[in-house]
Amino acid sequence: MPKKALITGISGQDGSYLARFLLAKGYDVVGSSRGKGPASSFPNLERLGIANQVAVESVSLADRQSVVQAVKKHAPDEIYNLAGQSSVGLSFEQPFETIESITVATLNLLEAIRVLQMPIRLFNAGSGDCFGNTGGKPADENTPFRPQSPYGAARAAAFWEVSSYREAYNIFACSGILFNHESPLRPDRFVTRKIVRTACRIAKGSPEKLNLGNIDVQRDWGWAPEYVEAMWLMLQQQAPEDYIIATGETHPLEDFVQAVFASLNLDWQEHVNQNPDLLRPTDVLISRANPAKAANKLNWKAKYMMPDVADMLVQAELKLIS
Amino acid sequence: MKKKALITGITGQDGAYLAEFLLEKGYEVHGIKRRSSLFNTDRIDHLYKDPHEEDVRLFLHYGDMTDSSSLLRIIQKTQPDEIYNLAAQSHVAVSFEEPEYTANSDALGTLRVLEAIRILGLKDKTRFYQASTSELYGKVRETPQTEETPFHPRSPYAVAKLYAYWITVNYRESYGMYACNGILFNHESPVRGETFVTRKITRALARMKLGLQKGLYLGNLDAKRDWGHAQDYVEMQWLMLQQEVPEDYVIATGEQHSVRDFVDAAAQELGIGIRWEGSGVDEKGYDDKGRAIVEVDPRYFRPCEVETLLGDPTKAKEKLGWTPKITFKDLVSEMVRGDLKDAERDELVKRHGLKTYDHNE
Repeated sequence: MPKKALITGISGQDGSYLARFLLAKGYDVVGSSRGKGPASSFPNLERLGIANQVAVESVSLADRQSVVQAVKKHAPDEIYNLAGQSSVGLSFEQPFETIESITVATLNLLEAIRVLQMPIRLFNAGSGDCFGNTGGKPADENTPFRPQSPYGAARAAAFWEVSSYREAYNIFACSGILFNHESPLRPDRFVTRKIVRTACRIAKGSPEKLNLGNIDVQRDWGWAPEYVEAMWLMLQQQAPEDYIIATGETHPLEDFVQAVFASLNLDWQEHVNQNPDLLRPTDVLISRANPAKAANKLNWKAKYMMPDVADMLVQAELKLIS
Repeated sequence: MKKKALITGITGQDGAYLAEFLLEKGYEVHGIKRRSSLFNTDRIDHLYKDPHEEDVRLFLHYGDMTDSSSLLRIIQKTQPDEIYNLAAQSHVAVSFEEPEYTANSDALGTLRVLEAIRILGLKDKTRFYQASTSELYGKVRETPQTEETPFHPRSPYAVAKLYAYWITVNYRESYGMYACNGILFNHESPVRGETFVTRKITRALARMKLGLQKGLYLGNLDAKRDWGHAQDYVEMQWLMLQQEVPEDYVIATGEQHSVRDFVDAAAQELGIGIRWEGSGVDEKGYDDKGRAIVEVDPRYFRPCEVETLLGDPTKAKEKLGWTPKITFKDLVSEMVRGDLKDAERDELVKRHGLKTYDHNE
């Protein structure tokens, strides 16, 4: 019998890549989304050519009954909890939507597994944003959280919900603390996507400038399609544990911008304006990760580093607009 | 001008002590209470006057931490200088039974208050105190715990409080609000909720002394806690809002006792000698006549236990000059005397054939 996976947030970047990955492994994949409508109404699934292979269930994750019903109906072997308001910047504007779609939703999934007493394994998408500023030190699985946004606080609480339910009820549940991971499926509001799209338009002759907030921030940028493999690996282990998932390399945003424009044979400094209006109320300056545990225990390592990611994003964008 | 304070959770133990403390300081005090079909203002009954009298400085408003509009309306109407966010579903064991409600009132509830302050344009006027908890340390990473000790929450209560802690820090850092967390270790008093272990012990032993109750059933006797007196702790809550700069503080005694120690201390106060025999779930406490009066019931174990909590209040002492005045022995003694009085009243009432309540858990 094929294994069955339920992916919350199927319409997003990670949900779509994970669905493709699991389908290739022979899984039956059910995706949940707030929206109604068939999988074909989700552009990311269409783009990956898997829309007709994924069943979609409309679930409101902040609503306990809705979650319990969906889990009971599909009785999956594995649940991947990828749903949630995922923009740090937006979380300052929408703190309620953020905690409800992340913290309350995760609690509802854990409660559903507990109440239904099914042997379901749960992967929860954590975030490097839980750490806040680590003073340039690489964060590992024992580094204390110090979240600096409503998004980070909501993710930190969800992480500890998973940990508490694992310790209290022996549920196979774990969090992957994912650092930034990009792909052509990223929505426009993310800075990487915005940079790539604008740079490509400029390369095609657009006279516009690229407006950016703080370009001194430093991030660990990986390639989303390979991060979903780490999620799956975490659920195939003997014991549920939390893992950092990252490349282990940190770069300033300026270097990312430079790499993107360089891929287009452009000098970034001629095309970028810095705009203080785009600064966040608080920002994590340097985000740095140590993914050694994932390498040792899961045998997972990122193959693509930031310069590769920048180039692949540019190539995908050029293909899209040509 | 009188300062105005708004206390969420004014009907609780800390709310009652804090209201009394602030009234003595000359504050106008507003409190939020939940609608209930039973009166729920016993703890502040001695402070509350008929609103038709003169010089009334304590006002109660109906509201609920799960209802944004009620919080917004009350904060707008009262325009407080200080908000003390003490309201919460505060029982750890119950949080495993009601995780959703706990998250809603403790985590989202705190966000609702912070957002109300921001939306109403009060962020430069209103100072915010958040009642955080030693349960954040959970499976402790070091002993004793300080402001720098990493958190490891292990209950729905602790996780909800973790969110409230970080969102408070976040609103301070993002919007320049005067907002801070008091990380309070266990604090008790004669008006502690009857289902919390300390009060459960003093009440049961006092009632046993007068023949109103037969036995006392407890969970983990080895759990160690840092127990202070709520009266000392509310002074610290106020002090935290009177500083130049908002900061987070551990509020604790720096002294630790086990649940078993607490039983011994309470029994001694009542002149009951207790002899412990057996171990684990079979451990029993016998009185002088050889009757098993304290037993372990696994029903009271938490799904995952926090074994030991011990706070280091050095920062509070050095920066704010705060030290707890009431000792562990005096705390236990006051609680026992309070419960003995209640038991005497119940016994008297019963003896005269009138109705009283056992309030079994």
